[in-house]
Amino acid sequence: MAILEVENVSIGYNTKKGYLKAVERVSFTLDEGGSLGFVGESGCGKTTIGMALMGLLPPNGSVREGRILFEGKNTLRMSDEEIRKIRWREMAMIFQAAMNALNPVQRVGNQIAEAILVHDLSIGKEEAMGQVEALFELVGIPRDRLRDYPHQYSGGMKQRAVIAMALACHPKLIIADEPTTALDVIVQDQILGEIKDLQKEFDLSIIFISHDISIVADMCNDIGVMYAGQLVEFGPREQVFESPAHPYTKALLSSFPTVTGKKSDLIPIPGETPNLVVPPTGCRFCDRCSEPGPSCKTETPAWVEIGPGHKTLCCRC
Amino acid sequence: MHKRNESVLEIRDVSKIYKTKGAFFGSSGKDVTALNRISLDIFKGEIFGLVGESGSGKTTAGRLIVGLEDVNSGEILLDGSEIVGLRGRAQKKFRRKVQMIFQDPYQSLNPQRSIYDTVSEPLKIHRIGDASTRKDLVRETLQSVGLSPPDDFLFKYPHRLSGGQRQRVAIARAMILNPEFVISDEPTSMLDASISAQIFNILLEMRNRLGVTQMFITHSLAAARYLCDRVAVIYRGNLMEVGPAEEVIRNPKHPYTQALLDAVPKFGHDRDAKRYGSLLIKDRDVDKDAGCVFFPRCAVAHEDRCGRKQPGLAQLGDGHFVACFLLEAMHEA
Amino acid sequence: MTESDSSNRMTAKEKYPWITSFLEGWSIFRQNLLGKIGLVLLIIFALMAICSYIPPWISPMYNPMTGVDPEITSCTPPSLRHWLGTDFMGRDILSQLLAGARIAFMVGISAAVMSIVLGVSIGMTAGYMGKFVDTLLMRLADMIMVMPTLLVVLLLSAVFGQLNIWTIVLIIALFRWPGVSRIIRGQTLSLKQRPFIEAAKVAGASHFRIIFMHIMPNVLPLAFLFMTFRVTSAIITEAALAFLGFGDPGTVSWGMMLQWVWKTGHMFQAPYWLLPPGICISLITLSFYMLGRAMDEVLDPRLRKEDQTD
Repeated sequence: MAILEVENVSIGYNTKKGYLKAVERVSFTLDEGGSLGFVGESGCGKTTIGMALMGLLPPNGSVREGRILFEGKNTLRMSDEEIRKIRWREMAMIFQAAMNALNPVQRVGNQIAEAILVHDLSIGKEEAMGQVEALFELVGIPRDRLRDYPHQYSGGMKQRAVIAMALACHPKLIIADEPTTALDVIVQDQILGEIKDLQKEFDLSIIFISHDISIVADMCNDIGVMYAGQLVEFGPREQVFESPAHPYTKALLSSFPTVTGKKSDLIPIPGETPNLVVPPTGCRFCDRCSEPGPSCKTETPAWVEIGPGHKTLCCRC
Repeated sequence: MHKRNESVLEIRDVSKIYKTKGAFFGSSGKDVTALNRISLDIFKGEIFGLVGESGSGKTTAGRLIVGLEDVNSGEILLDGSEIVGLRGRAQKKFRRKVQMIFQDPYQSLNPQRSIYDTVSEPLKIHRIGDASTRKDLVRETLQSVGLSPPDDFLFKYPHRLSGGQRQRVAIARAMILNPEFVISDEPTSMLDASISAQIFNILLEMRNRLGVTQMFITHSLAAARYLCDRVAVIYRGNLMEVGPAEEVIRNPKHPYTQALLDAVPKFGHDRDAKRYGSLLIKDRDVDKDAGCVFFPRCAVAHEDRCGRKQPGLAQLGDGHFVACFLLEAMHEA
Repeated sequence: MTESDSSNRMTAKEKYPWITSFLEGWSIFRQNLLGKIGLVLLIIFALMAICSYIPPWISPMYNPMTGVDPEITSCTPPSLRHWLGTDFMGRDILSQLLAGARIAFMVGISAAVMSIVLGVSIGMTAGYMGKFVDTLLMRLADMIMVMPTLLVVLLLSAVFGQLNIWTIVLIIALFRWPGVSRIIRGQTLSLKQRPFIEAAKVAGASHFRIIFMHIMPNVLPLAFLFMTFRVTSAIITEAALAFLGFGDPGTVSWGMMLQWVWKTGHMFQAPYWLLPPGICISLITLSFYMLGRAMDEVLDPRLRKEDQTD
């Protein structure tokens, strides 16, 4: 059963330079217990999607069209009160900048206990602290660090604490937005491992947002590749990585250096991402594409089915 | 390939210790060893990778070489002459030869100065050319880093440029004096993958076309593999492994290098299968400052040997050096 | 390769980017009501200062200092001949008010410029040199900062007799730099750590070059902002001194006018004499303050940041 269905969602921001179309007509579904990864470069709209799912868009941002169905209910139609009820309890987010997500003048343990108390009025302080201890155990923070302040934590521990906070109310869906970007590779590996274990243990559904293809490939079963506000390719991990269809996916894959396999030349994508206040007509990747067709610049691309569950937004496929 | 054994830069036994300030009263601050008796040779025309995690001392090494900080002990030689503690004219001469590209292109360009001002500044400082030749040189250099047509950029200010474009400007500034040796300190860590690849290729071209010797400081083994001829892996101020890039990455000998490689996310394969498994799940409790720096996290260490003394770099094969007792023992046997 | 759609020919805007940044700043400024009011008031005062040359030119009896209406020997209310009336010895109040505007601008701006120049150079020196020099200069700043300016000036004038208006300006400047220098020092300290300064060092730039080409342009906007606030405080200090009778007896400032009102016992008898200088002092300080607040918004880096979306 699908826990999350996103249909034709477009999101924009009012900026000084005009209305910025950050996300255009994005649709996807996430099954219960499934893992879906969004990959793309900065400015492609992947974080915006995460924020919109959580109902946490900044004041100048709004969902222009479409529906977001969480367990069959449209969250865009919900009142603030209703959204607040499902946020953290039903779906939680692991933020990008762990250092900013924790209050520097409060003990880490207390912060998480407080988050639990706010959402679960039936338990007392003692019980909440007990739950926090269990959570710390789960994410691998030693129990004696419970009463420390955030600045006494290392980067990896802060990120673990933020994960503990996201898990505090036993949500069904977790949205992880670049949870390991600022971390060293060994710590990153440990955290990713932990997220995977937790997913298995609690049967969580996960949406994983990252700029790093290899992390998304590592973490998720389904992959959505985003470019300039659009979803350009969607499908099972193996298919997207082994037989990519969209030129952007191919280009992205060949611009990443690897430590395994044959050493091959990196092929950078020429140019820069388009301006989303006045997006280009036709295919948005056309200007940077290595194999543009004659009609790509004018024709709006449509979804093409490549294989089971594997589709791409390209005129040439 | 480059010619072997013609060193451009020699680092001899260099140490750097930071004295942290103690509490408000007294000076009971702890000393932090950023670099511990590092020795390296960088050969003419190669790109040398210095790979390490944050806090490993890799950035400090770069800053010592360009003279932004002073070494505590040891010496650094450029073309055979000492460059530590240069002053006055000698320093200025040295500045023409060694340049640096910084990590954050959003911070490394003066927001109040135009691209032309920034790129032509080294020329003005070293009194090279007049206004018109400078302008031509700036145009040419901008073109060579892929900012074309250069006239579109000359009078722009950094805030109008994307991250990738800014980093190209920074490269142009470093290249305009035609330096012998360029250090890039994580030049792509703030950039997207497709833009990073552009920057990598510019650095490669700099070497191939102009023969500029480079040191590439990075946290990414994959980037080092792509770009570098030789790499050194550094951990908490100590060199762990030095050797040809492909050799070190395909055939790592030091448990730390192995742990780093294990941790790199691989495309869609079973992550539970660690190839080396050289990292301890839970750190060992050990007395500090004795033994190998990686000992507390090393899964294959010998309790008695590795915990007591620090291993030195020992040659294992052709130009492949490893600082580990286990391999020393294996090699001796 | 990219952005080449803007074609090769360069517009004036492209070539002189300061025009764009000025226009950008102006558009932010224009949205600020306080700033607009301040600016309008300032323009009015500036016009007054310029017009101060007209009355003495019409007739010597309108000279603010020496001109006495031969037919009037006491304080008179406004009339056609003297639009704002005359003071106790028959001098025209409007002429004095106009001359006062000139003096206020002169005192305010010159004292502010001097204190800013002092503050910026000392602050930059302290911040850039660091260590011993920094400690020395900042302790000096602390010492001066805790001294009450007014009291010191009073003491000085008690010792040296009547002070010349320029001496007063100088004293105000000498006592008003520490605040500025503290801010500039902080700014310099943070700039010094920025990679673009290090990049300049690696390129071989001298200390002189780093200070003047890299640090200075980045602290000047802040210095200008502080100048508007310093103008306010200089005008008030001068007015207070003059009112207390320690002003320059050879100049007609608004503070001086108030002192004459008070000294000749017309405080509550001649509102047409008391109110104009009082209102002017309040309004001019207010307008510089409002201008400063608006500039604050224009220069605020948080507002100038590029729009971020992802």
